Amino acid sequence: MKNVEKQLREEAKKLLADKKVDVIVGYEAGTLPLQTSPCFITTPDDAEKLVWNSFCSQNLAKYVHDIIHQHKESQVRVKPEEKTKKIVGIVARGCTTRSLVIHLQERQYGRDEVVIIGVPCTGFVAKKKVSILTDGKEVVEASVNGDTMSVKTAGGDKELPLKDVIADNCLSCPFNNPIISDMMIGSEAPPMDVDSEYHKVNEFEELSIEERWAYFTKEMEKCIRCYACRNACPSCYCKICFVEQSQPRWVGAGDDPADTQVFQIMRMFHMAGRCVDCGSCIEVCPMGVDLRNFLKKLDKDGVELFAHRAGESLDNPAPLSTFKMEDKEEFIYEP
Amino acid sequence: MDFVSVGEYMAESKSNENWEPKIVAFCCNWCTYTGADLAGISRIQYPPNVRVIRVPCSGRVNPFYVVKALQEGADGVLVSGCHPGECHYITGNLSARRKFAMLKNFLSYIGIDPERTMFSWVSASEGEKFAQVVTGVTEKIKALGPANKLVKSI
Repeated sequence: MKNVEKQLREEAKKLLADKKVDVIVGYEAGTLPLQTSPCFITTPDDAEKLVWNSFCSQNLAKYVHDIIHQHKESQVRVKPEEKTKKIVGIVARGCTTRSLVIHLQERQYGRDEVVIIGVPCTGFVAKKKVSILTDGKEVVEASVNGDTMSVKTAGGDKELPLKDVIADNCLSCPFNNPIISDMMIGSEAPPMDVDSEYHKVNEFEELSIEERWAYFTKEMEKCIRCYACRNACPSCYCKICFVEQSQPRWVGAGDDPADTQVFQIMRMFHMAGRCVDCGSCIEVCPMGVDLRNFLKKLDKDGVELFAHRAGESLDNPAPLSTFKMEDKEEFIYEP
Repeated sequence: MDFVSVGEYMAESKSNENWEPKIVAFCCNWCTYTGADLAGISRIQYPPNVRVIRVPCSGRVNPFYVVKALQEGADGVLVSGCHPGECHYITGNLSARRKFAMLKNFLSYIGIDPERTMFSWVSASEGEKFAQVVTGVTEKIKALGPANKLVKSI
């Protein structure tokens, strides 16, 4: 990873010096351990800030969308001959490139408005997993060396096997190398444990209906409607979210558990065929709601019903935006 | 006027042996609604539990209408449209088919009985079939009992 970091900084410096991009969205060392911060660099000297390691958790495609759209809005009253284009560079791992593919398919911006710097990925560290393994003690410092992670906590030092703290979605990721890119830094990452991808979903499907409902309501009771999941998700980019609409009013903002359940059902259903399983929503959720269990089911249905994975290729459009005469219709009721 | 909250209504329903389900049916104007009309004209008897909402096409039905109906206390939801290949708007029902395949799987996965959300194709000449669909759906939902999941009580 250190090699990749060095090369990444060089490439970024070159892109900015040649003025091929206006801004590069990447990760920089954060102020807290176990986490890097997204950063936006505009000068070649700032390229030294960029990092690429196991603490880079947030899916950066969200920022690309925000930057390009803010720029477009600022250009609305500018004369056509004076309009400028803003080109955004992005440090993109596998799932991030899938989000970019989804944005491109949904015509949010043109392929020429983004420069994709592909990086290989073997997963990021999930803070909640670390917290469980350190008995909830606050982590003061953390570093990764090969297969182990060393943590310094308030209650002593610990060595943890890296595979025990990598996020669930990363462990079984089938797309940990960039799908599209303008340049690839370093060599391709080795494949993750792809076979276990739908194990949890398959197990959950074996439970009885009452058990499934009990689990769903238990998880949704934790939700405090902070909307961090919505804010972190790159596929959630609507200017006016359905939650904020009052005509029609899709979901209430009150205390009733049914409101929270309906909000989550609706938000997750909006992700049908568009969720790239980047894990950002789970990382940012303050209450640890098990969103992945339900989102992964939508992903599985996309594969089984429509032979589609979110953002896997620019030529394969989102499943709900198209149709085939031969689509399965076993669910249709025939008396 | 005596207002009853949904919570109280549910409590009443559970204990009432004469409880009849309330089923919301989104019927596409060109096929299913016309089929239902034919059933009426032919004086075919079928259970009166269905409340019809006429839409221009089954593709017009946002999956969230189904979720909202369940939240507002509907015991069951039926969405019915033209047979694939016969849509008045050519491809509306094909879009709907994909949306509802995913919705039904998702709702059933999170624990809502799959028989509360039913989908069918009924064409304009199938008056008898419409009556059969409604009878079948009503029987299934009667067996499930009053809606008790996702229902908003405040």
